[in-house]
Amino acid sequence: MLILRRKVGESLLIGENIKVTLLDAGDGGARLAIDAPKSIPILRSELVHAVDANRDAANEQSQPQDLLQMLGAREEREKEE
Amino acid sequence: MKTNTKYFGEIEYGEEDVYTFPKGLFGFEDENAFLMLPFSADGTLFSLQSLKTAGLSFVAVDPFTVKPDYAPELQPDELKEMGVSDSHELFFYALCAVKDPAANSTLNLRCPIAINDSRVAMQVILEDDRYGMRHLLSDAEKREAEPC
Repeated sequence: MLILRRKVGESLLIGENIKVTLLDAGDGGARLAIDAPKSIPILRSELVHAVDANRDAANEQSQPQDLLQMLGAREEREKEE
Repeated sequence: MKTNTKYFGEIEYGEEDVYTFPKGLFGFEDENAFLMLPFSADGTLFSLQSLKTAGLSFVAVDPFTVKPDYAPELQPDELKEMGVSDSHELFFYALCAVKDPAANSTLNLRCPIAINDSRVAMQVILEDDRYGMRHLLSDAEKREAEPC
């Protein structure tokens, strides 16, 4: 892995047509400007993990009702009679 | 109106029951309308049921039941999209990955569903890295049971 130090306003190039510029950096994080061809997808890495987590959440491996006991909830049995 | 659901068979619902997700959920950008169908009477566990895809349901949990000190804060542009000025004006639900055994299930506290008074909803990725995408439900429960 290559680790570079950049000052605010400085850039780096990846290949011939991707340019990353450090716009500002502070306690809250750094702001980057990325110049790249439209064909190159740029995603925050958290987004990829969020998609994975959602796919898992859409694919239950046991009955959700089993969670009720863990959550200390009352099942809706009274209603059904 | 009637719709088929993953857990409750065919059900009847009204326009006012529909939650609108203008941008969908992460990885499910084309799913824009859902119902919240309760598994329990006390509002802790729901099926977030897609209206478009009968087989698609997410298990949604009231995150404050699991983690009473949960404090999700949206970014200014997200608050603007939701039409509120403060995160406290929103309702929050966390999606649960239900595992076998159920004790291994995990909760995504990093990417809650935020809902406003008009039932417009969006999923966000919180900046706060205290919250993970895969909190063990059983862990959270233990922590809650510990005396302060």
